[in-house]
Amino acid sequence: VNLSSVVVLVGLAAEAWLLAWVAVRGRRRWLQATFAACSLSFLVVGAAFVGTNEGLLPAIRDDVFLGLMLLTHALTAILVLALIHGETLPRQRAAAFLLLAPVPILAYLAPIQGWTVGTAYDGNVLGGFLVLCLGVALAETIYAWHSSRMFAPLAFWLSVGIISLIVAGPIYTYELEVLGQAPIAGANVAAPLALACFARVALQSDPLPVSPRVPRGRTTSGAIRETDAIVFDESRPKYAFHAAETEAAAGRATLLIGRTPPPMTSSDIAFAPLVPGRCTALRALTTASEFLGSSPGGLVVLQDVADLSALSGWRSVLESIVRLRHVARGTGSTVIVSPTRLVRSEQKELNDLDLTRWVLPDPATEIVAILSQSFGTGAGRLFDSFCRAHGLRREDVTIDHVPALMAFLTRALEELSDVVGGPAGRGLRAQFEAAGSVLRSFSLQEAREVARGKWPSREISAADAELVVTAADYWKGKEMEELFAAADAVGEREPLFEKARLVFVEQLGDAGEGLLRAQLARLGKKPEEIDRGDLVRIADRASVDLGGLVQVVDLPQERERIHRQIESIRQRLELIAEEDK
Amino acid sequence: MDDRLRTLLIRSVFLFLISLVLVAGFWYHREFYQIGFVNLLIIGGFVTFLVIWAARLAMTGELPRGRPSEELVFSLEEGDRLLKNVAHLVVRPSEGLAVPGVGHVIRGKYETGTEFVRLFIEDARRAFLSDVTDEDARQSGFRSALELQDAGAARWRWSRADVVTLLRVRPLGGTR
Repeated sequence: VNLSSVVVLVGLAAEAWLLAWVAVRGRRRWLQATFAACSLSFLVVGAAFVGTNEGLLPAIRDDVFLGLMLLTHALTAILVLALIHGETLPRQRAAAFLLLAPVPILAYLAPIQGWTVGTAYDGNVLGGFLVLCLGVALAETIYAWHSSRMFAPLAFWLSVGIISLIVAGPIYTYELEVLGQAPIAGANVAAPLALACFARVALQSDPLPVSPRVPRGRTTSGAIRETDAIVFDESRPKYAFHAAETEAAAGRATLLIGRTPPPMTSSDIAFAPLVPGRCTALRALTTASEFLGSSPGGLVVLQDVADLSALSGWRSVLESIVRLRHVARGTGSTVIVSPTRLVRSEQKELNDLDLTRWVLPDPATEIVAILSQSFGTGAGRLFDSFCRAHGLRREDVTIDHVPALMAFLTRALEELSDVVGGPAGRGLRAQFEAAGSVLRSFSLQEAREVARGKWPSREISAADAELVVTAADYWKGKEMEELFAAADAVGEREPLFEKARLVFVEQLGDAGEGLLRAQLARLGKKPEEIDRGDLVRIADRASVDLGGLVQVVDLPQERERIHRQIESIRQRLELIAEEDK
Repeated sequence: MDDRLRTLLIRSVFLFLISLVLVAGFWYHREFYQIGFVNLLIIGGFVTFLVIWAARLAMTGELPRGRPSEELVFSLEEGDRLLKNVAHLVVRPSEGLAVPGVGHVIRGKYETGTEFVRLFIEDARRAFLSDVTDEDARQSGFRSALELQDAGAARWRWSRADVVTLLRVRPLGGTR
């Protein structure tokens, strides 16, 4: 057996393995198909070379071999172009296939012009086209390396692949020509190395895993219809997530890209977890691009931009946001960018992009402001009582907690009904109803309305500037103090079971209550008998039980979500137990 | 076996294999290299230089990610925790922090300026200081989040509302 046949045969095995690997591991059909076409062309050329070289196949006509060679070169250029530009120019992907147009013409002209495989890289139209294909691929790679911080790490591997093809193709043919030896008819010994490099790039830039899958097709529902990127400028991504929930509930295809899974929601938000890696910004872009490509008109929420910056560098993130904006415009979709936790220089550069910007308040601050309109300066105390009772930190409160806050205040008023009666009691109830009405209407406001800037906290500041003593502070006297004390008492007196139930239900949905009751049954206690020690035991046991559940979940992002829920339940139960000391 | 000795052995074997491949390559292309002594000297010398250079960069981890360009300064105690693998997490204020992303190598220096380790960044995230958990603190060598916050408060005057970067790092060995 000829040595070159053995080398090419080993290469064929490697190419077949790479083809299978990308087919199994890849997440982009169009790219997998392009990779398959390219690697199959190399496989066919290699097999033809070994077959004829070893006498297993009859001699193959030169024009057929040249046609195959032309295919490998054109498909290599197409694959490289797809790897570099495929995500940001989804509609122009097909244009690269125009490189295939000259292939049949040149193959047809080969016998007429006397072109042979041995002289394929000579200075004629055929040689020019072959070199042009590799040249286009190399030039695009070098350009991407120098112009794109996001793509630079992958451009290195692309350039390794293309240079190896050039060395083992035109350069090696030239060497053999100098030596007066027959060239390796069309087969390129560096093809496996090049395909390995291309496969690496394809898989490293693959979209992140998304679950649950969203049905393909254009979505027309939803309230946020801007076909652009919108920056949700808020201290924590509360409105960004709320918007995702609302849009998904309205039937819009919605994808959340973030570091940590969202808490349990009733809507069908698809989630893609950011995984640590050098190309995470690029993967976030490909994820969003693929999602919007399959569901035009959809919504993508880029939740943890700061984490992306820490993972891949700010320049890469900025580039991915710019490209994502183009994808959003091209597909009639919306991208929400959450700049929380960005440093000042990053915030400034994001501002310089001139994206639509919605400045949004912290719901906790606004809730306190609304309460202070009715309950004066003690509003903060009321709010803190609510947070304590629910094992929440102030910064974790969102507008979704408004119903729970209303229920809490109602219970506090009921506690007071025996103590404060008559006009004072009625006045207090009127104040409560006024606050409730404002709270409800505020919680119903969508991000767009809130972004107009009519925040309760701003209105209060303006009013306070004009009045030394607010009306609310003036006419409410002793009964206010009693309300605050009652609110504290609600937190203290509210059965521990109820507090624990709220935590379980918030994290696990309705099934959470069943789980809590099961834990109580195992302790042999009734809900009203539960004490602080039981709460700690329930936290530990629930961690163990739910931890066992995690072991049987296959999806990594779901495992991560359950882990976080377990941790959140444990922390909040411990917080309640601490508060109850 | 000592880590340094093992690393030296692996690198030596790798270099020897490359030398074998180079010699085999020259033998295989012996006819081509009959183009003349000067040509052979220039072309062969250039190819050998490129291969050895690339191998050196690959072995030191500088190819393709490049040379370590940034550095982090540690106290003696912090550095000791990293070297003894007690701590894997480095917490620093995000504002003004210049570190590359995941997959890069940075220099670890003592406050005196001496480089004592090269650190490979495995993971990175940002969080409000108030969101740093006890588990994060334990991984960075402190007993609790409160202790971590107190330790940093003296050094960086940070507050709970400040944003910090949490880097999960792996020491790559001593300086070269």
